[in-house]
Amino acid sequence: MTSRTEQTLTYTILGLFSLLALAPIVGIVFTALQNPDNVNAFGSFDGIHLGNFKDAWEQGNFGSYLKSSAIVTVTVVVVAGTLSILSGYAFGLMRFRGSGVLFYVFLLGLMVPMEAMIVPLYYDLRDLSLTDTYWALILPQIATSVAFGTFWMRAFFRSVPRSLVEAARIDGATSWFTLWRVLLPLAKPAVLTMTVLLFMWTWNEFLLALVMVTDEGLRTAPLGLSFFQGRNTSNLTLLAAGSVIVATPVVVVYMFLQRHFIRGMLSGAVKG
Amino acid sequence: MAEVRFIDVDKRYGGVDAVRGVSLDIADGEFMVFVGPSGSGKTTALRMLAGLESISGGQITIGDRVVNDVAPRERDIAMVFQDYALYPQMTVFDNLAFGLRRRKVPKDEIARRVARAAEALDLGRYLRRKPGQLSGGQAQRVALGRALVRDPQVFLMDEPLSNLDAKLRTQTRGEIKRLQQEVGRTTVYVTHDQVEAMTMGDRIAVMNDGVLEQVGTPEELYERPANRFVAGFIGSPAMAFFDADVVAADGGARLRCGAVDVVLPGVGGLPAEVTVGVRPECARPWEEGDGRLVGPVSGVVEYVEALGRETFVGVDAGGARVVVHCEGRAALQPGDAIEFGIAPAGLRFFACDSGLALPTAVEAAR
Repeated sequence: MTSRTEQTLTYTILGLFSLLALAPIVGIVFTALQNPDNVNAFGSFDGIHLGNFKDAWEQGNFGSYLKSSAIVTVTVVVVAGTLSILSGYAFGLMRFRGSGVLFYVFLLGLMVPMEAMIVPLYYDLRDLSLTDTYWALILPQIATSVAFGTFWMRAFFRSVPRSLVEAARIDGATSWFTLWRVLLPLAKPAVLTMTVLLFMWTWNEFLLALVMVTDEGLRTAPLGLSFFQGRNTSNLTLLAAGSVIVATPVVVVYMFLQRHFIRGMLSGAVKG
Repeated sequence: MAEVRFIDVDKRYGGVDAVRGVSLDIADGEFMVFVGPSGSGKTTALRMLAGLESISGGQITIGDRVVNDVAPRERDIAMVFQDYALYPQMTVFDNLAFGLRRRKVPKDEIARRVARAAEALDLGRYLRRKPGQLSGGQAQRVALGRALVRDPQVFLMDEPLSNLDAKLRTQTRGEIKRLQQEVGRTTVYVTHDQVEAMTMGDRIAVMNDGVLEQVGTPEELYERPANRFVAGFIGSPAMAFFDADVVAADGGARLRCGAVDVVLPGVGGLPAEVTVGVRPECARPWEEGDGRLVGPVSGVVEYVEALGRETFVGVDAGGARVVVHCEGRAALQPGDAIEFGIAPAGLRFFACDSGLALPTAVEAAR
């Protein structure tokens, strides 16, 4: 039982941290809505001027950047998600020689930061004539995403009662059928959580796009925003509007999937 | 034809022997119960039969077919799991129909067989529900139904009652036995509960430490246990044991251990030292003139288990611990003195070193 004092203290601390987390977000939204003709101050509210978004969209070429980001992100999330489900299933529920070692090889992708790989990766992709193409953004991110996805889905499949898989086997189901028809419907929270995380990480990837592409038509949204900032150092309202445009897709995806996201993050922590 | 045969079957995990040299014939239509304590290898033996564990050595046959390398789905078996293993996202109907659909059974046949199983198990009202909306007993019946609709050659059941409360367990025990007799299929049932084994099995296979200790009917195991382990495992309350010296006496053998000093008339041929097994019903409060008892033996009450119709009293007779059976309620408290007698016909003797059964008092007297 929590006492009234403890409850008050808990809510006070949570409220304080929520304010700290929300302040910059509210500040940037308010700034993006300010009157562009006034002297701008970060976070102040002087009405709703949606024209800022139109200006930022046109001046910043965000249509092109968002298109590139969408192509890269959707491809990475779909391919890496599918591969992660398959490899997670294999590592989680199948017994095969060398699975332990192989799993740690997969984990290397989680341990080595992009900064450490970026230079050799650039030379490799250049030798394959893939720099300045979407492939230079998609393939490395599929590789790193599969490392996390495998780790994530393996943990889920390991938490599934083994008897469920065995019952399906005795009932005549193949491994393939067991995965898609018996286990995957149960894996919805885990798969959607993985989708949100991969979407977020891929969408926000900056370094890879900076190094691998020079063609403006291939620039992703975070990279485009960076160039946009370089050109508009003094126009705070326009900068804030550009930032809101770039951040919106991730927020929308999270809002749609948040119920599953929270359940997925908690699965294993709380007995169902 | 669905006899099941284990022929010198082994299972090793790394350097650990989980099952060693198990040989067993299970007749067509027989209800065979594997019983034993945790880690005795009974579930491993069942899982090898199901094809869920590989076999390290020996052979398993179902009917005339060696199934060592046959996939579980091709063995024509159905299994009921301890946790039921129902598919949570599917309705009860879909759970029951799952195995039939995988075997491409026509839709109208599936509907007919599911309806029949649902009727037999009183599941008709729950067919549209999902497992999460069922009670433990209902989920257990769905698990049974999923096995029943398949109409396999062999039913396998891995402690299917262990998650039910005591009352429901007793009720379901009878229901499983009735269904098995109705369908007449060979059934292998695993449990650690010897009461389940005794009440359900046509025959019981007692396992311990990966080895098959004894196979027989419930009566055989109770009356003629092959060794001390089986004698101690079968029967509730368990048989009490004490080591006693045996000396020849007038027309019989004299047993001595602590306060126990009794002459068994007509008994001979026992070694100088034996382990004596006394079932509770063979030790009763001493009554002068009761010719079926030898004694009296004096002891101190250690504990009292009053069950209403009968009372079991744990007694320490100078180091020999015995459970004494009293009719009705016994007005005894721990620490009280008690005199009891022993019925020689119910005593069992075991070799002190190997634990193997020696001729009983009655057999030795012949």
